[in-house]
Order: sequence, then C-alpha cells, then structure tokens
Amino acid sequence: MNILEVKELSIRFGGVKAVQDVSLSVKTDSITSIIGPNGAGKTTFFNLISGVYAPTSGQILFDGQDITGLKQHQISLLGISRTFQNIRLFNQLSILENVQSAMDARATYNLLDSIMTTPKKRRIDRENREKSLEYLRLVGLEKNGQDKPGSLPYGMQRKVELARALASEPKLLLLDEPAAGLNPTEVEEFIRLIHKIKETFHISILLIEHRLQVVHTLSDMIYVLNFGQLLAHGTSREIIENRDVVAAYMGEDD
Amino acid sequence: MSYYSAVMTSAIVNIIAILSMYTLMGLTGIFSMGQAAFMCVGAYATGMLAIHSHLPMAVIVVLSILAGMVCALLVGFPVVKLRRDYIAMITMGFGEAIVALLNNMSNITGGANGINNIPRKMTLWLGVIILALILVITMNFKRSKYGRYCIAVKNDELSAAAMGINVARVKLTAFVFASGITALAGSLLAYTTTYVEPTAFGFTKSIDWISFVFVGGVNSLTGTLLSGMIFCTLPEILRFADMYRIIAQCAIVLLVVNFLPNGLFGEHEFTDAIAAIRKAAKNRKRGNL
Repeated sequence: MNILEVKELSIRFGGVKAVQDVSLSVKTDSITSIIGPNGAGKTTFFNLISGVYAPTSGQILFDGQDITGLKQHQISLLGISRTFQNIRLFNQLSILENVQSAMDARATYNLLDSIMTTPKKRRIDRENREKSLEYLRLVGLEKNGQDKPGSLPYGMQRKVELARALASEPKLLLLDEPAAGLNPTEVEEFIRLIHKIKETFHISILLIEHRLQVVHTLSDMIYVLNFGQLLAHGTSREIIENRDVVAAYMGEDD
Repeated sequence: MSYYSAVMTSAIVNIIAILSMYTLMGLTGIFSMGQAAFMCVGAYATGMLAIHSHLPMAVIVVLSILAGMVCALLVGFPVVKLRRDYIAMITMGFGEAIVALLNNMSNITGGANGINNIPRKMTLWLGVIILALILVITMNFKRSKYGRYCIAVKNDELSAAAMGINVARVKLTAFVFASGITALAGSLLAYTTTYVEPTAFGFTKSIDWISFVFVGGVNSLTGTLLSGMIFCTLPEILRFADMYRIIAQCAIVLLVVNFLPNGLFGEHEFTDAIAAIRKAAKNRKRGNL
C-alpha cells in the first residue's frame, strides 16, 4: 500500500524544466529518500507535493486521493507536514507556541469563543498546550518551551521544526535536509530520533538528504534526481552500485 | 460636559481606533494606510441612523460596527491576496475612495457639510467602559489561536501555510475584526462631537495612527495603549504652543523611532510585569522557608 503516489510530475519556470516527468511512490510506514546534486530539483519536488507550486503536468495521489493543485493549507490539513531546508520558525512566538500553532489550525473553537474566552476555548487550548509539550519532550526541548526560537542554537531549532511538523499529526512527513548543519554527534542523535518517531507514530517519511550516512542508515528506498529527472531508484545497496549515480555524484570516469 | 471630560472622551475614542491598528499592524503585519476610512464609515452610519431613525443608541452602534465590517470585507477580499507593500497602497486608495464617495453622495450624507446635530450621547464613563471592553477583547484575540495565526502569518507566510493555516483567511479575519473596532470608534466619535464631515478621515489620520503604534511598540498592546494616551491628549496639553505642537509630536516620534526601534515597550506587556512580581514574591517566600 502506497501512502504517496506521484505520476509523471513536471513543472517549468519559463524555459527551465525544474522537475521533469518524475514518478515516485512512498510505501506506508516506510522511509524513502531523495538524493541528488545541488540544483537537481529536490526542494522544488517537495514544494510541488506540499502545494507551494502547482505542477505544470502530472498527478499527485495521497492516501488514494488526488491532491494535485490543492492549496498548501489544504494539503497540510489532509495529513502531509513538512520542514524547511533553511529553518522557518515563527520568531515572535515562543517555542511552545510554535509547536502549538500546528495544532491551532485543527482546533475547533471560533472567533466568538476566542474573544469571550469560553470554557470550550480554554479546554482546547489547554489540551493542545499539553500535547505540544509532549512533542517538545520527544525532541528533548520541554524545558525551553517559554523561550523564543532565536535563543536556541541551529541544531536545536531544527528539532523545534520537527516537533512542529509532528504536532500537525501527519500521515506523511516531508523532511528537507534535516541533518544539514548538524555536527557528527548531532547527526547520530538525529538518526536515533527519526527511528523513534517512526516507531512511536507509525508515519511514513520522505527525506531529502545530502549526507550518505543518514540516507543509508534510514532509507528503505532511495530515489536519485539529476537535472530535474529521475536517474535511478532502488534500495541503498542498489544505488551505491549504480554507475549513473556514481557518475552524477563523482563525475564521469573517462 | 466640562472641558477636561470632553478632552478625555474624545481621547478615549481615538485610543479605541488606535487599538484597532494594533491588531492589524502589531499582530498581522498589515499596513492599512486607509484605516481612518472605516472610522468614517462608522461615524456616518451613526450620524444617519441617529438623525433619520428612532433606534436606541446601542442598536445604532452595533449597526455602525456591522457597516464597517461589511466595508472591510468588500475591501479585504482583493487586498489580502497581495504582498505587504501593495496592501498599504491599495488600502490607502480604498480609504480615499470611501471618503470621496461619502463626500459626493450629498443627498444622503450632506456632502462636504457633513451631518450635524447628532445627539451628544457619549459620556466619559461610557467611554472608559467601552475602552476596557475593547482592551479585553483584543487581549483575548491575541491569546487565542487567532493571535497565534496572525503572528505566524506575519513572521513567515510560507511556513504558516505549511502548518495548515489559511493565510488569506487569517488576514481577512484580522482586517474585518480590526475594522469593526475602528468603526466602533467612529460611531462613538459621532456621538461625542455631534457632527461628522468627510475631510477629517483622510490617509493622514491613518498614518498618524501608524506612527503612534510604532512609538508605543508595534508588538505590544500595552505600548499601543500608552502611546495612544500620550498622543491623543498631547495636542490639548500643548495647546499654548499653538502650531509648534505638531513639531513637538514629530520630535517625539522621530526620537523614539531612532533610539528605540521596537518602540517604548518592545514586546513587553503590562501583564508580564504582574507575572514577574508574582514570581519574585514566590521566590522570596521560598527563600524564607
């Protein structure tokens, strides 16, 4: 059973074909990685799935439902959550509120409840705050809940973003270079965290990553993008032995 | 009504209008350069209803608020999809258009003469109560999911949308909510000054409000309130200085913006101080034990 099924997805920006006829599928409860050199179209591909751009052609099926061309917030509410390559937290909200903001979008009280602070609003907000604290505890930041994200070092901000993405209770999690800028100890810690998340929430993960260490230890399936096109796909062993992939990464051997 | 209570009442009315700017600018980051037009709508709605109908004051005020919100909804639909700087331009255009419209529909609005002889039903205490009510409502808005939506949208629209927040809808909600408060201020203004005329609501008034919010601290409700109090009473305090009082006002704005870019209060609120005092008291108690 596939949670995500992408069929011949393409997008052009003027004359530039950023993503060309890419087909990909993510099995339920698995970790799939997308690798490729800089400028291969990996982040653009993520932006297509999460609705930042509408594709020029192709189709995206999520959980059996066609989500092609839906808006970002609609896709998020259906159960696809993401993190960003360059961390994008809400700097004026506390770390706890950052996580809670993902749950707010699913909270059921209305404007009138808000301005009158009805018991319903208080209850929902309190529950969401407690749940958000749970997500922070998962990434080990429950003590920093009241601080602003700017007060944390880079690696920890990544964890806040991860907690925020999880708080929207997604079925599919898109992680855009989550280990970028982390030191080797942090990377190992991060790999453990991803395993823990997968075991705890039983969600599927689609991952863009440069570090082969991360990709190899985590991925059930790897897709390789180059110049916007799919170069190869397979298990991590198959990819290492693939000559095209090696050529794209290391350069051609004459 | 004595001189002082008249000054205080009209100051309070203007402070209510400035508080509405806090929701727009402070929370959502929408620069509305035509916000005074919604005050104009509220004032005219009240003026016309008070003269041509026998409805009680409370009903007229509510209808005026609704009139402002309907106008905000119509203006807001195209506006919220735009980028921040364009929003400032378009709201300014719409603001001027609304004022011009009221100026030219002379058969129902009295044209440039405006509407006169509106009964003076506003009192200082009524003003204080309504101001307190608006403060509580704005504070509750800020502390609910809507407040967090607004700040999220202001900080990072792309990221907010990825969390499932409908960015355009949040902006529209904030715009309509704030404009309702602005229209309320307009309605109360009509009941205070007993007349309305269109020229008082041009974009210069909106820009005045923007500068007041900046002085108080764009991220602080307390700062906005305090800055409103200062700037709405300053012209009366400096009455002896004649036209130089405008220079004094400009000097204050420039000094604050130059030396305190985040305004007098930054991100601090009055309630932070209470929380800090409570915490200190708790620590002291623990120290004694």
